[in-house]
Amino acid sequence: MFGEQGIQYLKANLTKVLRSQGVLLGLVLIIIVASIVEPTFMTVSNILNILRQASAIGIICLGVTFVMMTGGMDLSVGAIVSLCSMVAVVMMNTYGSLPGSTGIVLLAILTVLAIGFAIGVINGLIITAFNGRLGETFIITYGMQIVVASLALLYTGGQFVPGIFAMGLYQQLSMGFVPIICFLSLAAIMHVVLAYTGFGKQISFIGANMDCARMSGIKVSRLRVITYGICGACAGFASIIVTSRVYSASPLQGTGYELEAIAAVVVGGTSQSGGTGGIVNTILGVLVLSVLGNALNVIGVDANAQLLFRGAIIIIAVGLDMWNKMAKQRESTK
Amino acid sequence: MSQFILEMRDICKSFPGVKALDQVSFRVQAGEVHALVGENGAGKSTLMKVLNGVLQANSGTILIDGKPSVFKGTKEAQAHGISLIYQEFNLVNTLSVAENIYLGFLQTGKSGLIYWKTVRKDASDLIGRLGFDFSVREKVQNLSVAEKQLVEIAKALSVNARIIAMDEPTSALTTKEIEKLFEIIRGLKAQGITVIYISHKLDEVFAICDTVTVLRDGHIIDTKNVRDTNHPEIISKMVGRPVEMSYPRRAVAIRDDETVLEARGVACAGFVKDVSFSLKKGEILGIAGLVGSGRTELVEAIFGARSLHAGEILIHGKKVRIRSTADGKGCSMGLVTEDRKETGLALHYSVSDNIVITNLKKISKNLFVDRKLSQEQVGRYVRELGIKTPSARQTVMNLSGGNQQKVVLAKWLFSDVEILIMDEPTRGIDVGAKYEIYLLMNKLVEQGKSIIMISSELPEVLGMSDRVIVINAGRKKGELRGDGMTPEAVMSLAIK
Repeated sequence: MFGEQGIQYLKANLTKVLRSQGVLLGLVLIIIVASIVEPTFMTVSNILNILRQASAIGIICLGVTFVMMTGGMDLSVGAIVSLCSMVAVVMMNTYGSLPGSTGIVLLAILTVLAIGFAIGVINGLIITAFNGRLGETFIITYGMQIVVASLALLYTGGQFVPGIFAMGLYQQLSMGFVPIICFLSLAAIMHVVLAYTGFGKQISFIGANMDCARMSGIKVSRLRVITYGICGACAGFASIIVTSRVYSASPLQGTGYELEAIAAVVVGGTSQSGGTGGIVNTILGVLVLSVLGNALNVIGVDANAQLLFRGAIIIIAVGLDMWNKMAKQRESTK
Repeated sequence: MSQFILEMRDICKSFPGVKALDQVSFRVQAGEVHALVGENGAGKSTLMKVLNGVLQANSGTILIDGKPSVFKGTKEAQAHGISLIYQEFNLVNTLSVAENIYLGFLQTGKSGLIYWKTVRKDASDLIGRLGFDFSVREKVQNLSVAEKQLVEIAKALSVNARIIAMDEPTSALTTKEIEKLFEIIRGLKAQGITVIYISHKLDEVFAICDTVTVLRDGHIIDTKNVRDTNHPEIISKMVGRPVEMSYPRRAVAIRDDETVLEARGVACAGFVKDVSFSLKKGEILGIAGLVGSGRTELVEAIFGARSLHAGEILIHGKKVRIRSTADGKGCSMGLVTEDRKETGLALHYSVSDNIVITNLKKISKNLFVDRKLSQEQVGRYVRELGIKTPSARQTVMNLSGGNQQKVVLAKWLFSDVEILIMDEPTRGIDVGAKYEIYLLMNKLVEQGKSIIMISSELPEVLGMSDRVIVINAGRKKGELRGDGMTPEAVMSLAIK
């Protein structure tokens, strides 16, 4: 019951609730305001629309969450999306209209997963070779972003590639519930892996204290490499959903995705220094940013002004996170 | 007019769920060196934080020169001549000595530019006043621990401190550096500056202090003139019971016929050269040597945390390749590192998370971590080791040093190691917890485990070990056993 007691609890712990559940409250607030101002916001079709649009960036965010849990960063995911988009669409254009196109679609998916994974593993190998910390992961993956972006441009000489393959299974991947199911089921799997398996516990521990993890006999380097591989593979997979939706590929397809993904993960509450957070946080973070974007659209806010809100929300979320951390520290110091 | 430069009256300070200070009255005479002793969690640090304005007392008054004073922050306390030097230094490593001393108080002229000449000269004068002579242009990161401490003291003097409180000042110092610190303290005293000396180490208290105050569980137990008291009395006041301060005896556990670990000609570039030794089942092998002699690097190389450049390691007579800490763990070894905060624990994680990390298989069923199994298992270790924590979900950061160290021990016992390597296992923990660690070590060897123990405290390494090897400049200088294990013998090998 949300009776007297509940209200009293809220009164006594208002700041605590605000601090720890701020993102969720923010999400609810945005939804309430948007549906009051514009009733069409709360229609099934609009909500499905939001979720469909969130799923590609959401999938990237899942991988980025893994990397950030280890106390690292991956700036190469946007470029991976670009390169994989090119590869997938060119593959579909070349073979997608032949008989047995289902197999081709699967082959395209496997190819981009492999490319993404491979780039991630290279990131990881370079980073662990130098025993890189947060700062190094930033710079090394930034370098990789440039390299991969260049590969994407070289692939077709910088040309935009329109889709010319027969419509079919590939288009289905961005229609109806399909992308939403892809995102949520992948999220569920990755949540279970992160929160309930030894692998997940170890990568979180690496983020909590990498030196201690190493001294505890954890295979730190190997796990980090795998984590970057997973992150790259997620970005690769996201390229399929993106290209399926736009039915074309551009060598600049994923430009900026990396920062959007990092912002969503951080808004969700996964710490930049690693060790705390998780997939559930990330889902919330992704939802906040995509619901906000959609709500502003539906309400009719000018596109240029929308960026203002977006930026503000990201800053507020990080502020909230820091506030929460400081308050916790205050409570625990004796 | 009071003869007391500082008087804290009936100070109470509570935190949610804990009464850290209860009616504490603490008086310090002008110009004395006043020791404040007590176990971890006794309230020493809280009292000092109240004194320098970091924390505000719930009730009680502070009198400076008999005048009531209220400090809302460190700046106000500083203005009254009070400086606190923390155990972890408050220095900016990348800045110079002079900049650190005058950080926040850099003198500027009308133009707003800093008068570097004046700043450097003043800093030099301060260092000189403390009887030292080194360039104030040196970056703090290039200084030794003792020199950093000197900078902290100079910083306190720069704001005209009349009362300097030092929290565990010797915890990271070598014997030689401690001597230097004592000289500095004597110098401060000669200049009429009052020193509050917070420490666990009673030897130091008796060497340098005039008065000693014992704090226990947030209460002042007693204040005594150092001349009128002795070790056992102070210890019993600290722990609230008479303590046998010798090392606990154990049943002879060594099985001479069973060698669990053998190192042959081990070398580690730049640190260790050609060291050989063996470890028997049920034995505690002590490794003595000065800080920086290569003893830590030696055990790290054996455990796989450093690469071995020469030599071989045999476990149960079989040659093994150890190239990573995972290999070391695979050979049933565990390393309790010398710095538990940096490399021993994830401080923001719970007791439970820290313990299970070494052996997640033990609590997993078909890939997944079983929460109930984990609770049962962790609960067992928390009970067996007597880890004092409200629950296994408590953040390790909130535990006392002794309990944190027990968590580190628990984490290796959890992975069922046979060989436990302990680097400074009792550093920075209080007397009572030390004794408990010793008892645990005895219990472990009686159960058939083997222990390698590094310690800078000679009585400890001699009191606990069956056998001692001495490392000096990366080489094994000798091996002592039985009656040959004397402080003199160890020291002569360690500094030869």
